[in-house]
Amino acid sequence: MTKTVDPSPGAARASGPSIADTLARDAIAPPAPILQSQYEFLGDDDIPVERYTSHAYMQREMNELWPRVWQWVCREEHIPDVGDTYVYDIGRHSVVVVRSAQDTVQAFHNVCTHRGTRLFEREGCGYSGGFTCPFHGWSWHLDGSIDTIPGRWDFPHATEQTHALRPVRCDTWGGFVFVNLDNAAAPLERQLDVLPQHFAHFPLERRRIKLHVQKRLPANWKAAQEAFMEAYHNFATHDAPNGGNTQYDIFGKFVSRFIHNIGSYSPQSLEDYPGDKWRRPALTEQEQLQMLSVFGLSSDCVPEGDTARNVAAAELRRRLGEALGTDLSGVSECMMLDSIEYHLFPNMFLFPGVNVPMVYRFRPDGDRVDHCLFDLLLLEMLPEGTPHPVPPEPVFLDVDDSYTQVQALGWLAPVYDQDTDNLMLQQKGLSSAAKSGVTLGNYQEARIRRMHMTLNEYITPPESQP
Amino acid sequence: MSENPFEHNLLTHKLCKIADHDELPQGKTQVAAVNGREVLLCHTAEGYFAVDNLCSHAAARLCDGKLKGHRVLCPMHGGSFDVRDGVALSRPATAPIRTYQLLVNEQGIFVSLPDEAT
Ligand code: FES
Ligand code: FES
Ligand SMILES: [Fe+2]
Repeated sequence: MTKTVDPSPGAARASGPSIADTLARDAIAPPAPILQSQYEFLGDDDIPVERYTSHAYMQREMNELWPRVWQWVCREEHIPDVGDTYVYDIGRHSVVVVRSAQDTVQAFHNVCTHRGTRLFEREGCGYSGGFTCPFHGWSWHLDGSIDTIPGRWDFPHATEQTHALRPVRCDTWGGFVFVNLDNAAAPLERQLDVLPQHFAHFPLERRRIKLHVQKRLPANWKAAQEAFMEAYHNFATHDAPNGGNTQYDIFGKFVSRFIHNIGSYSPQSLEDYPGDKWRRPALTEQEQLQMLSVFGLSSDCVPEGDTARNVAAAELRRRLGEALGTDLSGVSECMMLDSIEYHLFPNMFLFPGVNVPMVYRFRPDGDRVDHCLFDLLLLEMLPEGTPHPVPPEPVFLDVDDSYTQVQALGWLAPVYDQDTDNLMLQQKGLSSAAKSGVTLGNYQEARIRRMHMTLNEYITPPESQP
Repeated sequence: MSENPFEHNLLTHKLCKIADHDELPQGKTQVAAVNGREVLLCHTAEGYFAVDNLCSHAAARLCDGKLKGHRVLCPMHGGSFDVRDGVALSRPATAPIRTYQLLVNEQGIFVSLPDEAT
């Protein structure tokens, strides 16, 4: 029953059908990038625990990672009009993005060039005819050039060259605005790597934000995002059968992916999991459809010879197609149902799925090593020709607030609560330093290792090489 | 105006019409001069609210700013206020701005002003 174990590390896979097998059986083939698969063994050393617990390491990230990497700030529809601003904080750094002309988005350090005062206190959307510092009233035009210096006679040494607002690199892709505090950094395309090609069939600029939740999580930002980079925990944490045969892909330094099926699973992939659950007996197609009732399906019966996956995809195509005013009849089962999750280094997740349409961002919460901020967006297709509506304001949840307070999260809320409980326990355990390293599976947790390897390229203390 | 919720106030408050019903699209604001003061009418997803048009920080006119959800954003220094209760939400603004009670019916949108303001 067990597959012959390939002796080379990283070559072993779960028993039973693979994701590729499921996709090959589906009635409608998914777009070509979904069918690509790419993995290589990256090593099996432990990841040092200090990366999650040490203030010194956190400071290195603040000095060497965050000021040198492209990171997503907001959506273009957050700043549709000239004068619209969006302030983004990352640790002690703060950036203001502004639409300075109808087709120009610029970014500046959110800092006065006189005596260093923050221009905008609060993260998020704003609007301004220009920038004015509240301290002595210096002001700048939207393009960062000096407008007024009250008592200018006293500042002959403050010129456009020396005292314009400090620019920050800014670029857009897929409706997202990105910044990079390093003016010498390679262009955004380098970091996006295969993403534009992989999302050509799923234009993110034609999505609207349906919901934005921002939650404070009780863990280091990396530990938090790593809980979302593997589906290995689905069985123990979420009492779900479908993480065992998840496919993991690594498309280079910056981009990785997992795909796991919804509406089908592999009983064989759970063969050495504890108990008989979902193996003896395996779930029937009928039972699998019942597990999808969280999607509010009206069909509760799988016709003889058909599959739960087919029935669910067909109903969602019809129902969501109507609701969104879009024809989804040609959309593959995989795109309709599955959890397809891309990670863009360092901290962004994107899901090209119709029913699982999230975007995540994880980042440090100020200078706290053991807490982070988690932004969770649900995107929705914008029908052809429909302009972008005003995006909703974020809903804030503190560490102890349950996601179930946000009704619009529906079935996802208890799932995210389960993840949060783990994170709190994990951060506590890591801090007790019983073991100096975190161990990763060769295949299922390879995305996490890839993230740390790329992090090493930004932060290179020899003692922390994984 | 038999269903006037401010009826009990009518002796001490007076109602002034500041807009026609359906005149102001949701998400927009509009200024009305009432008894020498500027009142900012805000149409949010939660309904109509009215606040003073001048920012409590340095008196910028909030009608030159923008309404985002239930926040009105000052165009000057990034201050913002909750239009539902006037509370200052971001620095440098710290003092609240005044709010006004509204009556909305088919005849229009009316602001309720204390009589001493006349
Ligand atoms: S510190 Fe900004 S104007 Fe003086
Ligand atoms: S005048 Fe409104 S924030 Fe300064
Ligand atoms: Fe999870």
